[in-house]
Amino acid sequence: MNELIEPDLFKSMREFGADEWQECYHCGNCTAICPLTEKNILFPRKPIKYMQMGLRKELEACVEPWLCYYCGECTEKCPRNANPGELMMTLRRYLTTAYDWTGYARKIYTSEKWEFISIGILATFVLVLFLLFHGPMTTILTSEGGVQLNVFAPSGIVHIGDMLMAATVSFFLISNIFNMYWKIVGRNRDLRIPPGLYIKEFKSLIFNFASQWKFNKCDGKSYWFLHWFLMSGYVILFILIVGFLGWFQTDEIHPWWHPQRLIGYYATAALLIGVGYFFYGRIKKSRERLKHSHISDWTFLVMLFLTALTGILVHFFRIGGLPMLTYYMYVAHLMILFPMIMIEVPFSKWSHLAYRPAAIYFSNIKEAALKQKQNHK
Amino acid sequence: MEEIRIGVYICWCGTNIAKMVDVETIAKEVETLPHVVIAKSYKYMCSDPGQDMIYQDIKENKLNRIVVAACSPRIHEPTFRKVCMKADINPYFFEMANIREHVSWVHDDPEAATLKAKTLVRSAIHRVAFHESLDKRTVAVEPSTLVVGGGISGMNAALEIADAGREIFLVEKTDRLGGIVSQLDLSYPFMTNVSGVMDPLLKRVRKHPHITVYLESEIKEITGYVGNFETIIYSKNHETKVKFGNVIVATGLKPFDPGNIKEYGYTKYPDVITSLEFERRMKQDGQITTAEGKEPKHVAIIHCVGSRNEKYHEYCSYTCCMTALKYANQIKSTLPDANVYEIYSDMRVFGKGCEELYAKSSRKNIKYFLYNQENGLPQIVNGSRYNGCDMLIELEEEMVGKKIGIPVDLVILMVAMEAHEDAKEIAHAAGISLCSNNFFIEKHPKLDPVSTTTDGVFIVGSCQGPKDIPESVSQARAAAARILANISLGYAEVETTTAVANELLCCGCQTCVKSCPYSAIKYDPDKKAAVVNEVLCKGCGTCGAACPTGAIKAKHFTDKQIMAQIKGLLFQG
Repeated sequence: MNELIEPDLFKSMREFGADEWQECYHCGNCTAICPLTEKNILFPRKPIKYMQMGLRKELEACVEPWLCYYCGECTEKCPRNANPGELMMTLRRYLTTAYDWTGYARKIYTSEKWEFISIGILATFVLVLFLLFHGPMTTILTSEGGVQLNVFAPSGIVHIGDMLMAATVSFFLISNIFNMYWKIVGRNRDLRIPPGLYIKEFKSLIFNFASQWKFNKCDGKSYWFLHWFLMSGYVILFILIVGFLGWFQTDEIHPWWHPQRLIGYYATAALLIGVGYFFYGRIKKSRERLKHSHISDWTFLVMLFLTALTGILVHFFRIGGLPMLTYYMYVAHLMILFPMIMIEVPFSKWSHLAYRPAAIYFSNIKEAALKQKQNHK
Repeated sequence: MEEIRIGVYICWCGTNIAKMVDVETIAKEVETLPHVVIAKSYKYMCSDPGQDMIYQDIKENKLNRIVVAACSPRIHEPTFRKVCMKADINPYFFEMANIREHVSWVHDDPEAATLKAKTLVRSAIHRVAFHESLDKRTVAVEPSTLVVGGGISGMNAALEIADAGREIFLVEKTDRLGGIVSQLDLSYPFMTNVSGVMDPLLKRVRKHPHITVYLESEIKEITGYVGNFETIIYSKNHETKVKFGNVIVATGLKPFDPGNIKEYGYTKYPDVITSLEFERRMKQDGQITTAEGKEPKHVAIIHCVGSRNEKYHEYCSYTCCMTALKYANQIKSTLPDANVYEIYSDMRVFGKGCEELYAKSSRKNIKYFLYNQENGLPQIVNGSRYNGCDMLIELEEEMVGKKIGIPVDLVILMVAMEAHEDAKEIAHAAGISLCSNNFFIEKHPKLDPVSTTTDGVFIVGSCQGPKDIPESVSQARAAAARILANISLGYAEVETTTAVANELLCCGCQTCVKSCPYSAIKYDPDKKAAVVNEVLCKGCGTCGAACPTGAIKAKHFTDKQIMAQIKGLLFQG
């Protein structure tokens, strides 16, 4: 059966950002200038054509938007000002909602109300838990002069909460990735993937997740480094709070060179500097990729910044012996962190941490399978 | 008899000839042939320096015969004859060998091509030695003009000449003037109203004191030659015999019948219509509706219906891409919520304002789907009411390489433009050649686009090939200018290469009278001999070949000349 066109598909893209789909007349300048173009990877033009024609299935099977790191050269070279770089960004937002089987991602991407109310509800949930179950708010300091945070919020109990959060987030994210796999690889009946390929290509998944090496290919090393620096910060913090909260959240004040403090400072610096850099860039519109900001871009940056700021303040208040400030800041920290992770990771902008390496993984599998198929012929 | 002194000139034609033919060697080799005084090759013989060179050589070497081996004599024979005249030798002492169209353009073996070119040059040298001095004849020009076809081209040409005070006989086959253009609603690319252009034109033609319009009329045959043509105009109830000095043929073209293409289901589906049908609807009331009277939500415009397809017409019909964009814009402004799909195979939007309209259109959410005619045409099938549409267009979209389906409720077929069925008769009547698509052939595609190989017969507008309005109008006015120049000069030169009968040798058998296709030979019972009317004779040579006694000679094609030419072809040296 021929795939039927959906003439109004592009209209439903307006809420996701750019709306210049109709400007493109397929001269191919963007594809030619793109440093990532390969034999079978022709973007940004290919997904734009699918969008113009209204071929939703083809569009959702595109890995290209996730391979693009938005250097913006296509936008600069576009003779029709179709803004192809931003169209790719818009597509990433759309695809995030397309992969999400719950439909929630679409709600928060297309409605600010939904996003802010959700954040509010999750923050209130944390607040209520603390109001009901917090430990004694003792003002007695430890022998070293620090605040007894673990009396107010014992790390063992908070750790259970963290793990439950991680499990929930993982459940949604992994099921969404499976949905993505289905749209990109699974649904294509012409393509039979030998199971060995999944294992063979797995190392590229890990490598790309950790290094974002393809990003480096795009433009300036500094940009790639800052993004990587920022990412290393939150990955470290995520591992610490989900896996080793007992080691990370202590009442004992370690000397400044202790790994617990050094790692914490590094991660905080990474988050604050990285977020600050992107924040500044989006305000100044310093680069093509930072010129167009969707509300979801701002929300993510603001929440990440506030999480890092409240986190480091908890630390300083604690070693500074300021008990009440420490407790309030701790509650505030979790009220921001919890909604941020619950919403951003599986349903919103932060999901790109999984979708980008997954896209490279899937496209490698696809490519390898095609190659094998051709060799057999 | 004076000594025969031949100058031979081999043209490079830039690289056109020189890349395949060793022109310098030929020049060197033919220099040794009898009577050849000088043989040269040059980059562009037809250029001013080239012509000057020949002129100087004639003067310095006392040449009295010239051979130029270059392109077709159709293009530059007149040029070199003029050089001869300037240098005081009779223009008929000139012979041309075509080593471009007949050699370098059609062969790919340089050695064999050089041999063939050399043979042709040798043949021309042999022939030119037997050329005779002939005088050009001039005839007075009848100042009235016949215009065949009352469309936009014919009317413009008629007005241009009539405004200069000259008589026009305007013959139109149908019962009204205006042709296809008068059926149009808007014109691209500026979307101006066609009746705004057409109505004043029609009014002026009808009221012009120097234009006589013959509606529902035809001509069958034009006799005579430049300056002195004659024909009979057959109208409904009467016949008019007219005399005129020049002819403009502006018979236009007709839309292709899409019923021949089964994929499109024209007539099977009531909502598959042709471009002209859509045009008439727009002109009538501007309402766009389906057969059921509903507003269409999804309108497809299929390009190249019968064009650029070996099964139908190989050529591009030239105006349809822009017309299709015009429709898309008209539909979008009448029904802003309708989806318009341009199903095209290459978008051809050349010329002033056209690319701009295309760019503007693509911003109006007009969707473009590319198909490749070689992979089969889009097919219209029953739509099973998807999106509320009765029809579904199935096609292989070339850009994405996928089979897709487009539900539609109205389809406009951009039908090709093709020559009229009676183009052959018109061509025969006026002495015009036809191309393989039955369009009329101009004298020179670049340098003489409105004349034909018959002097005094001009072709304008779409009878020469698909054209848009501005091009048709410019052609019409170009032809008018040529004719007015001819009329104001007062005389025309006519060919002297006619047949002559030698009364003394003629035995009176009248074989020539029967064989002449132009009825130019009469038998004179008093002299008991054939007499050729040089005015009617076209110099075809049939009589000369048929004459048993050798009494009839075709000037410039005498037996001696032909035999010498053959000898040159067949024998080395």
